[in-house]
Amino acid sequence: MINKLKFLTKISLQRKINNKWFLIANIIFAILIISLLNIDSIVSFFGGDFDETKVIYVKDNTNKTYDILKTQNDNYKSIIKEDENAFILEKTTKKDTEIIKKNKNAWYLTIDIDKDNYIKATLTTNDYVNTADYTAISTILNNVKTNIAINESGIDPNELSKISKPLNIERNILDDTKKAKDENTQMMMSTIFPILILPFFTLTIFLVQMVGAEINDEKTTRGMEIIISNVSPKTHLFSKVIASNLFVLFEAILLVIYAIIGLAIRKTSSPLDISSISSLISSDIIKNLTYIIPLALILMILTFIAYAILAGILASMTTNIEDFQQMQMPIVIISLIGYYLAMMAGMFEGSIFIKILSFIPFISAILAPSLLILGQISIFEVVIAIILLIITIWALLKYGMRIYKVGILNYSSKNLWKKMFKALKG
Amino acid sequence: MLKVENVTKYYGNFKAVDNLSFEVKPGEIFGLLGVNGAGKTTTFRMIVGLLKPSSGKITLDGRFIDYDITDKIGFLTEEPSLLTKLTVKQQAIYYGTLKNMKEKEILNKLDELLIKFKVTEYKNKKIKELSKGNRQKIQFIMAIINNPKLLILDEPFSGLDPFNTEMFKNEIKHLAQNGSIIIFSSHRLEHVELFCKKLLVLKNGKNILSGNLEDIKHKYRKKNIEVIGDIDEEKIKQIKGVISVNLENNKYQIKIKDESVIDEVFDIVKTGKNISKFSVEEPSLNEIFIEKVGETYDK
Repeated sequence: MINKLKFLTKISLQRKINNKWFLIANIIFAILIISLLNIDSIVSFFGGDFDETKVIYVKDNTNKTYDILKTQNDNYKSIIKEDENAFILEKTTKKDTEIIKKNKNAWYLTIDIDKDNYIKATLTTNDYVNTADYTAISTILNNVKTNIAINESGIDPNELSKISKPLNIERNILDDTKKAKDENTQMMMSTIFPILILPFFTLTIFLVQMVGAEINDEKTTRGMEIIISNVSPKTHLFSKVIASNLFVLFEAILLVIYAIIGLAIRKTSSPLDISSISSLISSDIIKNLTYIIPLALILMILTFIAYAILAGILASMTTNIEDFQQMQMPIVIISLIGYYLAMMAGMFEGSIFIKILSFIPFISAILAPSLLILGQISIFEVVIAIILLIITIWALLKYGMRIYKVGILNYSSKNLWKKMFKALKG
Repeated sequence: MLKVENVTKYYGNFKAVDNLSFEVKPGEIFGLLGVNGAGKTTTFRMIVGLLKPSSGKITLDGRFIDYDITDKIGFLTEEPSLLTKLTVKQQAIYYGTLKNMKEKEILNKLDELLIKFKVTEYKNKKIKELSKGNRQKIQFIMAIINNPKLLILDEPFSGLDPFNTEMFKNEIKHLAQNGSIIIFSSHRLEHVELFCKKLLVLKNGKNILSGNLEDIKHKYRKKNIEVIGDIDEEKIKQIKGVISVNLENNKYQIKIKDESVIDEVFDIVKTGKNISKFSVEEPSLNEIFIEKVGETYDK
């Protein structure tokens, strides 16, 4: 029986890989991943003014504000920790229409004094402005206003310089296991993680499709009768579960290869910012990843197994291709819920509801590692999620197999649920 | 030897097979007949191990049929059971390996059978590209690729033209001569008559008629008399014991209730003119089937 299991697994894997759709899907994946990793080079290649520093022509009717504005523009760079200034400022006496006629992308800022003797600003542009730029100029102008007000209140210039200097918040974390210098990396990881788990979601869909489509195909062509007269339903389902998991592993390796190729291209075309990588490597996050990654992998592998068994059981109940397509929907929805919850985990930090959901099998593989990275749950809680997943797999095998045995040889949708519940009772 | 002993199968409260018993020896071709829903497919599924009997036992050479001995069984299902996306070669390797055969052995046997059934050009073609008749041939090849000790054929002649039907018949006979146990059902009762030495008729899961075909026909009292010539049809119809008189293709078919009527019929026939044939014949299996089951087989 072991030889037959090996053979069924091999042929199932071959049928999936020696398939034109597998090739097409992987060409698309390769292009997509490599492109995403080099998106800035691609966008730059086609040109445009997206990364040009915005030029603001300033008409200072107050005759005292431009220099302060320039200083605040420089200061803003250190606030947002950028290398370049947010804006290039140029003093002008020309009219707004004249300037914008020459440079449609330029902004024109008029500074006047209002009736209360405070500065007021008018921003003239040819088109709508984006939120980030608008926020930046608002911040700078507010700082200018504050600065002028303090200046006019007669404060010593040295004191004023100290007041104007951006505030640095020093971080002090009492938890001995956490270091202040890792906080930014932690924040970065919480942003990146939802992107990293996207392939997991994609692979889940692949896995469900593979198991379901094959079982449905074997059922609808009645090949199932010949197969099941030679191997037990258990062996048959196991072969699908093993093959689909091997396939997912193979596909995951391919995705990593595409990512490596993408990074290699990036390295040669526009080198990576080494400082952020070296700060990541030197941080404790890497140390943490040494236990987060194995735990996440265990959860993911167990989840793939659970999904494969569930897809097999549901597919065994389908009697035609339409049934099979509908069968996929609940699984996709469960997987999507996990994905969105993982993305929201950072927003609802400390939410007990999300913590509880991280124990639930099928979504725990995405949610639990996210919460672990964010420091919202501990290893102990992840281990509980793993144990719950193992119990689920055991229950699926024990009770689901009863449905599978009856389902794979059932060709009628009449009284389907009645038949399945009866099978479940044993 | 295949032994089916007191087998009953329930689907819920519905009794699909009711206390069925029969045995088939190596080299025998056994016909399992019945209208749709009579319990034939359930019986076949129990024999190949797809279903477990609710009670009773099925053994092959004294062993219960389980996955250890299904390698020795060949099964041709009524519905096509080929994986249509595979090529004929891939399909043979698939099903052959499930029968524990080595790939080389499978390919040698496949080549031999493809030649025998004159379909060598389809070896690397996908099954979905084949015609219905050719798919049936490939399905038959898949069922016998392992030289089965027990071969179950559920409607093997479905979709075949007379030439290919003959080819199948020859192969089935050949397998039986080599010691295979063959059980088959067919809607074409003339095939069953030609093939089977033994048969069993199921009705609502019950055995209503079984035994050697010759014995069954012999025991069946009604006979047919075939006459060629000019006879007094009305006089014959008046004889007590004559069921019907029909003229088909210049031949009179006279159905009689039993052998006691033959002499009386003969006395009238011999008064006729141009008589070139008077023959007493056994009833066809179809007639027996209709009488016993109460409906035609093709329902």
